[in-house]
Amino acid sequence: MTLGQRKIHKFTWLLIAIAIPTLIFFSIKNLNFSEIKEDINVVNQVSKRNALKVAENEIVKASLFDNSIEIILKTPLKRASIVVYAINEKGLKGTVLGQISTVGIYIFKTKGKTKGIVIFDKIKEVEITKLYF
Amino acid sequence: MGLSYQLVLWNKHKKTYDTVIAIGMLLYIILFAAITLAFNSETSLETLVIRAFGSLAILMLHIILIIGPLSRLNTKFLPILYNRRHLGVSMFLAAFIHGGFSLFQFHALGNKNLFYSLFTANMEYNSFVNFPFQVLGFLALLILFMMASTSHDFFLGNLSAKIWKRMHMFVYVAYVLIIAHVFLGAFQQETSLFTIGLLLVGFVVITALHITAAFKESKLDNAKQKALEGWLKVCEIDEIEEERAKIFTVGNERVAIFKYNGKLSAVHNVCKHQGGPLGEGKVIDGCITCPWHGYQYLPKNGQAPAPFTEQVATYELKLEGSIVFINPEAFKEGTEVKPVNY
Repeated sequence: MTLGQRKIHKFTWLLIAIAIPTLIFFSIKNLNFSEIKEDINVVNQVSKRNALKVAENEIVKASLFDNSIEIILKTPLKRASIVVYAINEKGLKGTVLGQISTVGIYIFKTKGKTKGIVIFDKIKEVEITKLYF
Repeated sequence: MGLSYQLVLWNKHKKTYDTVIAIGMLLYIILFAAITLAFNSETSLETLVIRAFGSLAILMLHIILIIGPLSRLNTKFLPILYNRRHLGVSMFLAAFIHGGFSLFQFHALGNKNLFYSLFTANMEYNSFVNFPFQVLGFLALLILFMMASTSHDFFLGNLSAKIWKRMHMFVYVAYVLIIAHVFLGAFQQETSLFTIGLLLVGFVVITALHITAAFKESKLDNAKQKALEGWLKVCEIDEIEEERAKIFTVGNERVAIFKYNGKLSAVHNVCKHQGGPLGEGKVIDGCITCPWHGYQYLPKNGQAPAPFTEQVATYELKLEGSIVFINPEAFKEGTEVKPVNY
């Protein structure tokens, strides 16, 4: 390499050494890794006090309230489209409550009597899990 | 070194090099698939292909980027540099499979144009964390395509070594885009600290090697020499190995002073092919041979042996006792200078 090329290489890498950590810093600054865990604990306490019924398995926890249902997704499901259905009085997959994606807390409004929930992979048409209250 | 252009000028070393690349890539894909299926049996084939080839391309890019500084820090790594071009093209192919499958999987199956979908599916261009990382990967792929498609002596010869080198330095832009692509993708898709950790280790290693090599080179460039009646003292003659060279900085340029067959000759250190350091090569069959790709020059006049036409500048030397001196004024490229006998 010529002197000019060596200088360009040197300053390019010094620039990269500064630019990438800066990018990472600003990205991480907008994230809070403990947020989900803390929120789950808070909602667990609230759920124990107020929920009409609670059902839980290794994937999900569902708390039924008067006009809503609270779903805490505990583990990532790694699926492109996950839809939550209410189980109606006949014990069948009924109305769509909404979609869930990453680990976290979801609150959906309910109508009528809900006997449980079905979490369903809409693309593959596969039932992921089911909970009864 | 060839007089006419061929798709690939195969030789034994290139065949060995490419065989190692092909076997390495195949083993990686098989290993990645086996581990993925063992720990996550529900992974779809499309996802497996996207992730296997994406991670393979990143791994290969890291290897490509460390070859340069490793070779500058230790000449034992020069054989890996010899056919880096094929490694680069192979890396592009892996990245292309990753990008092609991703574009098809995520953007080609809807009612919008594939590229329109790519650039508009996520419009959070003003966010650090939620920035559309797929766009970054696509831009990096375009740069890699430009580089892979011009990785041939035909383009090097017709574009000139200077322009070609500048084009290929865009690999650093591609590297930054790829780091951001993987980093943001890992955060947005899975919050995968493992992926981010590996990426950071790679970044630290590559950056540290490049900066270390750059400062080592700067030290040589900045070495001050004492002039004696227009001549610069280089070294004791015994400091130069037989058939090898001593690299010496004259003004802003480096000169390679070769010792061979009882003679001394000095030429400009930069090979006309890809800017390889001639002074790190050796004299083979009477010709200075570039350590990068084997381009050759005659020590006495800096001319490539006929029928080749490349030429490098030459310098005048003198010997006083056992001390070698150089005249810092370079002669025109290809000028014959009588070697100093010792």
